[in-house]
Amino acid sequence: MFEIRLGDKGEIVCEGRLDASNAAKAQAFLDALAAPEVVDMARLEYISSAGLGVLLRTQKRLLQSGGGLRLVNANRHIRDIFRYSGFDRIFQIDDGI
Amino acid sequence: MISKRFQRSFDALDQVFGFTRRFYECEGVPDAERLVFDFCVEEIFTNFVKYNRGNLQDIELALERSGDRVQMSLTDFDVEPYDISRAPAVDISLPLAKREPGGLGLQLVRRLVDELTYDYTNRQSRITVTKNLR
Repeated sequence: MFEIRLGDKGEIVCEGRLDASNAAKAQAFLDALAAPEVVDMARLEYISSAGLGVLLRTQKRLLQSGGGLRLVNANRHIRDIFRYSGFDRIFQIDDGI
Repeated sequence: MISKRFQRSFDALDQVFGFTRRFYECEGVPDAERLVFDFCVEEIFTNFVKYNRGNLQDIELALERSGDRVQMSLTDFDVEPYDISRAPAVDISLPLAKREPGGLGLQLVRRLVDELTYDYTNRQSRITVTKNLR
């Protein structure tokens, strides 16, 4: 199960498991937003390299306009994956919104 | 050891994870390790799917716990040899502008497990990962 939507504060809320079977859904949602900023991962249990690709493509798109994603509330597994991927160098990763 | 074959499709991942979940519950695999194992299984499974798209054969997943070690093997049938365990490394120190999606999954698998082996016999590619439970 994976869900992605806009939260009450305009943040992007991800929930469930972002794997290869639903990466296209996540990419389509993010591509439809002109300037996404905050991704709340409090309810995101799991991410694979397919999910990392979604985030990376979005971050590269935003780079051209001077923007960028801020990833918040990621669990330990996801933080480990970010660190091993070098994503902690190319994303702002915070504990809370 | 338990094993099961799955359709060669990203859409099979839900069934794959259902299978691993039942294994974790039966074998008492700690929660903290389950996401790591699922990550490894997904990365290898989806690589088999991506790089042998014309193949109609299912992919086999075998799981075994022996003491504090868990071993997971994925087998791709009727394929040419391609040792994905030797895939080139991604430079994770590159700045955003030079990073490209792809190639990261298996690198992370190597980082997460204690042992990764590749075997090619009788047109079957088998990747086996072993991890000690902490």
